[in-house]
Amino acid sequence: MSVILWAILAIVVVLAILAVTTRHTRTALPPIELPPGETLPTAPLQRLVRWSLALGLLPLIAAASIVASVGPVAYDGDDTLRLLGTMLLITSMAVLVIPMVLGGAWAGRDDGRLDERDRAILTRAPTGQAAAMLVVLAAWIIALQESYRGAPGIPEAYLYLMFWSCLLVSLIVSNASILLAYRRS
Amino acid sequence: MPRATITNHIRRLRFDAGEMTQQALAEAVGCTRQTIIVLEQGRYVPSLALAFRIAHTFNRTIEEVFELVEDR
Repeated sequence: MSVILWAILAIVVVLAILAVTTRHTRTALPPIELPPGETLPTAPLQRLVRWSLALGLLPLIAAASIVASVGPVAYDGDDTLRLLGTMLLITSMAVLVIPMVLGGAWAGRDDGRLDERDRAILTRAPTGQAAAMLVVLAAWIIALQESYRGAPGIPEAYLYLMFWSCLLVSLIVSNASILLAYRRS
Repeated sequence: MPRATITNHIRRLRFDAGEMTQQALAEAVGCTRQTIIVLEQGRYVPSLALAFRIAHTFNRTIEEVFELVEDR
């Protein structure tokens, strides 16, 4: 079976297990009823996370496109490309980490921007990070093991990609958890 | 231990208090309007501090605002 298929299969199995577990353990909540024509107001933290995700994903997609277009090994060997890619990845990381940093500052300042529910949502945000990183690592390990079976070694470019993918996925999941928590509670 | 649900009468109390708006209540107790909306609809259980603030806003005791319903 192709490496990509192995990786996809691993991710699908893990996500299916997570989805089933979550569905069985979560208490069903009544739907939010609002007067006709009215929408649920958004909290400042919610707006911040939406912007952060929207803007943080753009440099990540750009960096991923560069790596995908030339291949990981060629990318790693080209100093200009690697510098450009790393700058894009650092930008993505910096933007994605803003809600945690700014949210933490708002929570500490007690100026009314965040209430107790916002604080609880912010505190629970990192809950899914470890699981997300494990899924990404599992996908990488399966893909690399199947690709380089019998080979003397694995190109070091993959270490760089594994690091960045784990880091950025953990930040994306953390931000997405905040948006999901606002929908679920 | 049997599971329990905490319900509240915030919507009725707002109506009784001269149709106080959700925004006005949110400002009075120091939370967002979104929190008042999810509270009223039973999707969020407040902390004791917020529960007391809401009760004080309506000049009620906490038991008059919130109710513990034991699930059977």
